[in-house]
Amino acid sequence: MSRAPTETPSAPRRTHDAGRARLPDATGVARSTDGVGIAWESFGSGDPTLVLLPSTPIIHSRQWKAQVPYLSRSWRVITYDGRGNGLSDRPTDPEAFRSERIVDDLVAVLDATDTEAAVLVGLCGDGVWHSILFAGEHPDRALGIVAFSVGVPLLSPPHPWRVQYSTTDELPTDEGWAKLNEHYWRRDYPGFVSFFFDQLLPEPHSTKQLEDTVAWALDGSVDSMLGDMHAPSELSLERVTEACQAVRCPMLLVHGTDDRCQPPSRAQRLADMTGAPLVILEGAGHLIPAREPVKANLLIAEFVRGLAGRSR
Amino acid sequence: MVSATRADALPTPAAPAREQTRARYPDRVGFTERAGGRIFWEAYGAGDPAIVFVPPWQIVHSRVWKAQIPDFARRHRVIAWDNRGNGRSDRPRDPMVHVTRERAANLLAVMDDAGVDAAVLVGVSSSSGPMVVVAAEHPERTLGLVFICPSSPFGSPGPKGSAPFEAPLTDDAGWNKENIHFWRRDMAAYLEHFFGEAFPERHSTKQIDDGIEWAMSTDMETLAATVRTPRTLDEATFAALCSAIRAPALVIQGTDERISDVTQGIGLAAAIPGAVTTLVEGGGHLVHVREPVRVNLLIRSFLEALP
Repeated sequence: MSRAPTETPSAPRRTHDAGRARLPDATGVARSTDGVGIAWESFGSGDPTLVLLPSTPIIHSRQWKAQVPYLSRSWRVITYDGRGNGLSDRPTDPEAFRSERIVDDLVAVLDATDTEAAVLVGLCGDGVWHSILFAGEHPDRALGIVAFSVGVPLLSPPHPWRVQYSTTDELPTDEGWAKLNEHYWRRDYPGFVSFFFDQLLPEPHSTKQLEDTVAWALDGSVDSMLGDMHAPSELSLERVTEACQAVRCPMLLVHGTDDRCQPPSRAQRLADMTGAPLVILEGAGHLIPAREPVKANLLIAEFVRGLAGRSR
Repeated sequence: MVSATRADALPTPAAPAREQTRARYPDRVGFTERAGGRIFWEAYGAGDPAIVFVPPWQIVHSRVWKAQIPDFARRHRVIAWDNRGNGRSDRPRDPMVHVTRERAANLLAVMDDAGVDAAVLVGVSSSSGPMVVVAAEHPERTLGLVFICPSSPFGSPGPKGSAPFEAPLTDDAGWNKENIHFWRRDMAAYLEHFFGEAFPERHSTKQIDDGIEWAMSTDMETLAATVRTPRTLDEATFAALCSAIRAPALVIQGTDERISDVTQGIGLAAAIPGAVTTLVEGGGHLVHVREPVRVNLLIRSFLEALP
């Protein structure tokens, strides 16, 4: 794999955007409460609307490339680039990456696209945790949540390798998860993303997904990543539990047994806490929608169809 | 992801690895007994015209059509079979059982046993030999011909087969690995080389793994016998057979051919009256495995245009 320079682009960028299986019917930029511009795209027209949340700022909306063409045949699908990557603005201030701001972005996109309520589909903390926060605060606007690689913080201890090294101290090594470190990021951000996504794609025959995710990460801004790393957070297990129990809409949880980012125990805890069904995929890694798109798409479609019989 | 065991690859044919699950299982299977040999075949689906997938070199077996069978079996009767020397067919060690006319006779015998009077024949690589013989000499049984990256005597020889197979070599570089002494030392490295060249397209790890698995379901001495088989149809004879063909013919040729040579496919099309060539940009030798959607749609268009 060729290495891009450590310098990441400061201008909006999304590689390989032209040759898509499905091009958007409408695009726009939503203005979030703090003024950050959020680039969104809309595909198809069926009801309900599905919003596929970005794993921001590490990658952008193309992470859903294997979902958009399929789901938009039946439903209106909205994707957007999170702040710090793709065609959205690239703030670097840690304050800009508070959870509240990330939820603001979702609200701004819903408003800009005249979406009263939507089914939320997310991956990991960026997608899942913010969907849960949104659903608790705006119960009328969340019709359901499909949570892949359930990233709800603090519900269970992190994988030991994720906390083996300091993310902020200068380390004597760059080996393995020591790459999850701000000094290493400044030295060799491509080295980090190549390692990181390789860990998230443990399945054999993932070379294409690895190439894609690394390219999308290098579309983003390492300064925004550093802002995100230092974002203030006042989380506690009580606060997380409260937020999870505040969700009133149906949820579906999907987790791989070989997820090296989020431990499967977090999905199990959330399922126990909320009664949401949990689908465990044997041997799957973290990036289920990218690596197992057929399974992921069928699970999403079945969930959305199941909502139809429910009164709103 | 290549995980073949090293020097002891192709140990014995006795214990084949458990087969992967299939998208579609055959409706009927059978064994054709002919010339002291035993040939395994499978039949799928229903609908005219029937399609017979003709096997190439025994380094693979009939699973090489795994991306075609489920698609075409929805609308057609489909036959796939294993050449003598791999799959569930027998393991002869006599090179003469593999000469082109024997392979052609096997093809006709399988069609007889499977109850197929006439079919569209689809082959890849060295399947071209028996296909040309059957099409030229049994026009009533040949409704159409699809040659994928075919071998033929009409173009450049290509890099494979350029080194001697029997003589010890001092250098193992590239196709010098196609040598019995190297095979005995490190068959797995040969297979990695072969399938790496057969799939030059990026992101082919799954196809390479599959290819090695298919190769490892035969044994080295059986495969060596196929390399020792002499060419029995000279260029003039083969050209005369080609010019006698009256069935519609399509050549699908990958432009990144590294096993045969692009000119062999183009030359074959030029030798068969009315044959059409479609180039697949960037495609390798086993382009139907790596680009099944593109190739299947090309075959489907060909079938739809048949008289």
